[in-house]
Amino acid sequence: MSGAPELEPVRKTALEFWLAGQAGARSVAVIDEGRLGGGAISLNLAVTLEIDGGPLSGRHACVLRTGSASGVSASLGKVEEAAVLRAVFAAGATVPQPLFVGADPAMLGAPFYIMRRASGIAAGFRIVKSEEPQRALARELGRQLGLIHRVRPGAKGLGFLALPEPAAALQATADFRRWAGRHAASDPVLAYGLRWLERNAPPPGDLVLCHRDYRTGNYMVDDAIGGGRLTAVIDWEFAGWSDPMEDLGWFCAACWRFGRNDREAGGIADRADLYAGYEETAGRRVDPKAVAYWEAAACMRWAVIAIQQADRHLSGTEPSLELALTGRMLPDIEMDLLRHLDGVGASL
Amino acid sequence: MINDDPGARDLVAIALHSFREAILPVVPAEQRFTALMIANALGTAERELTAGTRAEPALAAAVGGLLGEDGDLPTLLPRLCAAIGAGRFDAPDRQTALRAVLKDITRARLAVSNPKRLAAEGQGDERRGDGR
Repeated sequence: MSGAPELEPVRKTALEFWLAGQAGARSVAVIDEGRLGGGAISLNLAVTLEIDGGPLSGRHACVLRTGSASGVSASLGKVEEAAVLRAVFAAGATVPQPLFVGADPAMLGAPFYIMRRASGIAAGFRIVKSEEPQRALARELGRQLGLIHRVRPGAKGLGFLALPEPAAALQATADFRRWAGRHAASDPVLAYGLRWLERNAPPPGDLVLCHRDYRTGNYMVDDAIGGGRLTAVIDWEFAGWSDPMEDLGWFCAACWRFGRNDREAGGIADRADLYAGYEETAGRRVDPKAVAYWEAAACMRWAVIAIQQADRHLSGTEPSLELALTGRMLPDIEMDLLRHLDGVGASL
Repeated sequence: MINDDPGARDLVAIALHSFREAILPVVPAEQRFTALMIANALGTAERELTAGTRAEPALAAAVGGLLGEDGDLPTLLPRLCAAIGAGRFDAPDRQTALRAVLKDITRARLAVSNPKRLAAEGQGDERRGDGR
């Protein structure tokens, strides 16, 4: 999916000059192939780099990723996001390799980075369409998450990521409460969810690099109909230190099954496949009770993000039909939360 | 009395109908997502204008029952939030009672924002009921 060029000629020229310096090349030509789908928070452009000279000499299909006018509170800047991507790439995870990081906002109007382009599709509603459960894909996604979670606090280049205080669950709940703002005083589902999360928070445990948006829709798959081969885990803008069970809870949460509630691991397979893959690489067991806690947290997180998306529209900073409609998804998300709490009982 | 009929609900309804009949079938593929969002937004607006505040008295009675207070829904909901925050619904049986009312409130909102989901919820309840 690509379309009309997005880069202004002056900026494209500046980018090519800068890239040649970065790549140690005689010259770099940027072929602008237009905007890629996906990402309410980031702008993704398909670009092909023709590099003449230097270690990367040749033709490279890439994505140029930059921020949009307004973000949501939890999202990283593009320079930080690239640093996270570099760390998980080094850990051996299947992610697009970041090649160039443009920290100077003057060049393109906002910081950006360029990474290799992965093949395949990400659209959740298409990935969940397979006739048979995609067990191998779920297992591989579990393995990938285990690799990602091997990145621990103290890792090189990630000093900008704050550690949760006093513990991951209570920090997350405090964040949700802050983002919910005045809505928590008038929406009793939010008030109840926040109270439940505070009272049932698991004790502090391991802290690892969490993706924090690890779900169907944020990984790319080649040949989805024929069984699906993972080509990349994408959309790293929410990454941070947290409880490893958070990512598993987010992946399995009812809101990310794209209508396939019979396949609890992201609408693609059973949890058992995801969990087995995770335990192969993570060096820790899955704690189902903690995952259930983080599934409730997932609903709450998605609820407050939906509120923030609607506020971006309502405040006038970014009038958008898509953002406006996201706000009206709140009852769906809240029903998922209530159903989940019905299932786990009054407390864990 | 000045005649301003058809009113907002009727205008939105007929605009949506015309959009679905005449525009949506001929929208080019690259505009289809936006077109579907427009239909979705108009549908939600129409249902909201149709529903009005009709569901509120029954919900106010349910929330009032939980709190042991009287009042209309806009008055009672902030009080319910405060009571939850103060721990008045921490006990397991109180949480169960609370969730039942919260689901009623959420169903009324789903009737406006996503009636398909509401229909699926109803089936889910029946299945749950049969299973127990």
